Amino acid sequence: MFGLDYSWLADPAYQQWLLTGVVNTLNLAALSSAAAILIGMLGALGLTLRIFWLDALIELFVEVFRNTPPLLQMLFAYFTFSNLGLRVTDPSTGLSVPLLSAFACAAISLSLFGGALATEAFRSGIETMPRSIIDAARSLGYGRWARFWRIEAPIATRICLPGLTNILTNLFKTTSQASVITVPELMYYAGQIYNDTFRTLEVMILVLLIYVVLVSILTFAMARLEAFMAFPGYGRGH
Amino acid sequence: MAGTLENVKARGKLVVGVKNDYVPYGFLNDKGDIVGFEVSLAKYVAKELLGSEDKIELVPVVASNRIEFLTAGRIDAIFATLGVTAERAKVIDFTTEYVSAAGPSVLAAKEATVSKWEELKGKSVCGIQGSYYNKKMTEEFGINLVAFKTQPEAYRALKDNRCIGFVFDDMTLQQKLKEPDWASYKIAVAPYEFQPMAGGLRKGDTEFHEAVDKAIAKAEAEGKLIAWETEFGMPHSDYIAARAKAAVAKKN
Repeated sequence: MFGLDYSWLADPAYQQWLLTGVVNTLNLAALSSAAAILIGMLGALGLTLRIFWLDALIELFVEVFRNTPPLLQMLFAYFTFSNLGLRVTDPSTGLSVPLLSAFACAAISLSLFGGALATEAFRSGIETMPRSIIDAARSLGYGRWARFWRIEAPIATRICLPGLTNILTNLFKTTSQASVITVPELMYYAGQIYNDTFRTLEVMILVLLIYVVLVSILTFAMARLEAFMAFPGYGRGH
Repeated sequence: MAGTLENVKARGKLVVGVKNDYVPYGFLNDKGDIVGFEVSLAKYVAKELLGSEDKIELVPVVASNRIEFLTAGRIDAIFATLGVTAERAKVIDFTTEYVSAAGPSVLAAKEATVSKWEELKGKSVCGIQGSYYNKKMTEEFGINLVAFKTQPEAYRALKDNRCIGFVFDDMTLQQKLKEPDWASYKIAVAPYEFQPMAGGLRKGDTEFHEAVDKAIAKAEAEGKLIAWETEFGMPHSDYIAARAKAAVAKKN
């Protein structure tokens, strides 16, 4: 159809590459998403404490990782950390080798990048919460911590879920940049396959579809989570 | 649809894809001009087709985009270290072959003990994404290929010991070894194959194909390719000498 030729898909080597690529993409996305959410929660929690130096530190973290390209962060982690001394001696060869693998460098930089964005998302959730709810909680005698865990956090989480969905889908797609530091994910193998077969259009279409399917599953799950967590009288649960 | 030969003549200019980062085939000289063995050949072809070697536009290409450039009509021909392979022959036509180039070899530290391809099994070796031999490296030799987008990153990673060697075109690695920075490195594993190189043309363009082949044969018969080997500091190959002899014999 349309002169597209997918005969290369019959080659077991290419099947293996695509499979490995998808698995590595999923691993990288899952790991960095989980870490980004955790970092975001800790960051937003830190901001509620109103400690001057902690505020400054978190803001610096957000500015640095939100305002620089993830591609650059990965290259920096991959080439610069090892030259700054993050090295170990490989017992089998006796050579001094970089401590962090390409996958670790990609996972760390994506986690920090996603974490910086998630910090802001969670902060917006906390800050946009109606004052009246907090006043009501206070009048009922909730202390600072009880108020955070039992009132603020549950409501803020619901408010920031749409924003978080954006961040996670973005993070998922950004894993494709890890091919630059040789992480063999989907784009890495896609490039190799179309360089071998010259079926550029066909490979691009297939990879596009794989990303659409995978990211759609993620956004569907997030939409379900949003619906599940919705509470009466607020947002869609209205 | 008009053939490429008519287009080229109507335009008065031959548009050729060449390398600009590959000594000795196509590279930038001190003045910033693109020169090299294949650039000289391309200029010779332009002279044969249009009467002057200045009637040429050199378009720098890289391995991963040159065939797209050709099939999309951005260039008329490729003279850019294009190895002749069956896979490529499905998509483009090759001119007559004019060079027999060594395939990939492995650059490694002088202390490295590996000397055969089979000994690289399970080892991490740096490479370049999209090289034609990558599949063979992983499938046949069982190498854990760590492939980068471009060469500088691969050289850096080799120096960082992220891989025990760098598999790349032998000619490029030989040139790299001449740099003082790389004095403590060697070609650890020699090429397993020699591959003919040819120009690339769009499929089924017979008239243009014949004209280009004729120009290449003429250059061979005049001993031009041997002269260019000398000019660009290449070791003289038996292959090119034999082709020159055959071209002269055919002419007489």
